[in-house]
Amino acid sequence: MKRRLLLIFLVGSSSLLAGDVDLFGYFESQIMGAQINEDFIQMQSNKLRLDLEHRINRIEFRANVNWITYHGKTEWFIPDFLPEPIADQIPAALRPCFVLPFEDTSVLDNAFARISFRRWDLTAGKQQISLGTGYAWNPTDLFNNKDLFDPTYEQPGHAAIRADIPLASRINLTCLYGPEDIWKNSSKAIDLKIGLGRFDCSLTVIEKQWTLHDYTHLFLTGPIEISETRRMFGGSLSGELLGLGVWTEGGFNAMENSDDFTEVIAGTDYTFDSGTYVMGEVYYNSGCPEKATDYSLTDWMRYFSAEQKSINRYQVYLLLQHPVSDQTQAGMSIVAAGDGSVVLLPTLTTTPYENLEVLAYLNLYIGEELKAFNPNQGNGGILRARIYF
Amino acid sequence: MKRHMRCFLLFICIQNVFSQDLTGPQIIQSVNDVLNPETMWGKSTMTIETSSGEKRTFLYESWSKNHGEKNLIKYLEPSRVKDQSTLMLHFADDIWMYFPRTNRVRKLATHAKKQKMEGSDFSYEDFGAGNTFLEDYTSIRLEDKKVDDQLCYQIELTKKVDSDAGYSKLILYARQDNFVPVRIDYYDENDLNRLIKILHLSDIRAFDGIPTAMKMIMVNQSDQSRTISEMLEVKFNLPLDDDLFTERGMKQ
Repeated sequence: MKRRLLLIFLVGSSSLLAGDVDLFGYFESQIMGAQINEDFIQMQSNKLRLDLEHRINRIEFRANVNWITYHGKTEWFIPDFLPEPIADQIPAALRPCFVLPFEDTSVLDNAFARISFRRWDLTAGKQQISLGTGYAWNPTDLFNNKDLFDPTYEQPGHAAIRADIPLASRINLTCLYGPEDIWKNSSKAIDLKIGLGRFDCSLTVIEKQWTLHDYTHLFLTGPIEISETRRMFGGSLSGELLGLGVWTEGGFNAMENSDDFTEVIAGTDYTFDSGTYVMGEVYYNSGCPEKATDYSLTDWMRYFSAEQKSINRYQVYLLLQHPVSDQTQAGMSIVAAGDGSVVLLPTLTTTPYENLEVLAYLNLYIGEELKAFNPNQGNGGILRARIYF
Repeated sequence: MKRHMRCFLLFICIQNVFSQDLTGPQIIQSVNDVLNPETMWGKSTMTIETSSGEKRTFLYESWSKNHGEKNLIKYLEPSRVKDQSTLMLHFADDIWMYFPRTNRVRKLATHAKKQKMEGSDFSYEDFGAGNTFLEDYTSIRLEDKKVDDQLCYQIELTKKVDSDAGYSKLILYARQDNFVPVRIDYYDENDLNRLIKILHLSDIRAFDGIPTAMKMIMVNQSDQSRTISEMLEVKFNLPLDDDLFTERGMKQ
C-alpha cells in the first residue's frame, strides 16, 4: 500500500509539473558477506533511488524515494557479533529481542521546497541536514551517524524548517527547527559560519531529544529506553596550515539526566603531485571507556545501534588513496581504537562507464576478543555497483 | 562597458601596429586581458578521452567574475555528478566542492588545485587561476612563430621562486591579431625540460568584441590521454551578483 502511494505521489507530481520535472536517480545492487562463527553469511540488497527536481523561478522542489529489497541472511543475531563474555550477559529468554532485521522498505527519503528570497533561503520539508567538517565523525551533527566503513554514503532526510541567512560576505546564519510532538521534544539548531582568511569557522548550538537504551537491567520487553534533552555547544574550523589541509570539530554535550560529555575530532590531509591522497582524523569522546575491560553490554549495544559514535574513548581513521588509472582508485582505510584493535579496509572504486560506479572493499578485523574491533564482528567485504540514470 | 571595450579594441589595434616593439610582459598583459573579462557565463562540454580510448562527457555551466578571481562551475550531466559544483575564489587559492547527495560542502587545501578536475587533463589551477600568467611567472618574448598558419608571439613564462604554481615553465603562443593563445606548452613542476601537457585552442569567435576560443584540447604527454572542452554558449560582462560565488550560490 505504502509503495503504491509513493508511486502515485511520484507519477502524480510528475504529471502535474509536466515536462519541467527533472527525473534522475540510481539503481544500486550490493552483496556483502561476513565470516560469523563457522558460517560465511551473505546478504544482497537492491536499491532504487528516484529523484525528482523542479524549479519555478525562485522556488525549488526536490524529492527522492528509495525502494530497497533485501535477500539472503536478512536477520542478524547480534550476540553472534559480540565478545562471548558480553553475549553471555544476555538472558536466554531475551535473546530473541537481539535480532537486527533487514526488511524491504520504500520510503520518501527527502521531499522539500526551497524558496530563495533576495537575501535568504527558506527550506521546508524532509531534507538532509549535514553539519560539521569531519570526514569519519561529526561531533556537531546530532542528526546523522556515519558508517565508518563508508563515511561518504548519503544520509537520510529529516523533517525540518530551515532558514539560511547570509549576513555578510562569508558569514552565514542557519536556523533550523525539526518539529516533533511537542515543542520540548523538537529539534532546534543554530549554526553560524564565518570565513576568516583562509579558514572557515562555525559555531553550532543544537537542542535535540536524545534516545538511548540501557541494557544494564533487562526486562521482559528488552532494554530500558531513556529519552532526555541533549544540548550541544560546539563548532568547527577548516583551512590550511603549513601546506596541509586541516580541520577540527567538537562539541560539549549537556545532558538532561545522564553524564555530560565532550566529543572532538581533528584531521589533516595532503594530496601529492602523483595524485596520492593521505588523510588522518582522530576522535575523542570523554563519555566512552578507555579500557576494553570496561566495555559493558550497554556500550556495545549503543555502538552497534549508532546511539554513540564510538565504544572506546579514542579512535583514529587513516585513509590512503591512489589513482591507479583515470577511472580507478585503490585505497586503504585503517580504523584504530584506543584499545589497540584495528580494522583494515582495502578499497577499490572504479567507474568503468560514464554512469556506472563500482565499489569493493574488505573489512579485516585485527584485535582480541574483548576489544572494539575483533574478528567476532565478521571479516568480510562488500561489492557494490551503482548505475546512475 | 561598451566604451571600455572600444578602448580595449583600439589598444589591440595600436599594439598590432607596434607588435615588433612589444615586450613579453606587455604581450602577457594583453593575453590576460583577453582571457579574463570582467564577468563571464558559459555552457560547455568536457570530453575526456583516456589512453585506453574510453570517452566521458560532462556538461557544465561556469560563471566568473572580477577578471577570473571568482569562478563557479556547476555540473549538469552526467547523472553521476549532476548538481555537483566547485567554487574557486582568489584565483583558485581557495576551493570548495559541493556534493548534493550528501548536502556537504568540503573545503580543499591548496595542494588540491594541482589535481585533475573530474579526472580530466585540466587541473583546478588551469580552470581557476586566471591571473597565473601575471602573478606566478616571469615572461620573456622569444622568436615569433607560425602556429596553424597564424603568426604568433612566442612567450616563455618561467615560474617565480616564491610561486606555488603547478608548472615550472610555460611556452605560450598568442595570435598577433587578437592576443588569443592558440597553444600553451606546460612543463613539469620539477623539471624545466619535461613537457607534460599541451593545450590547443581553436575556433576563435568574437562575442561582444571579445575574441574567444570555443574549443580547447589539452593533451597529456605522459599517458596520451586528452580532454576536449567545447563552449556551447557564452556571454560576457553580465551583471553577476557576488552572492553567486558563495556556499549559497553553489547549492542553487
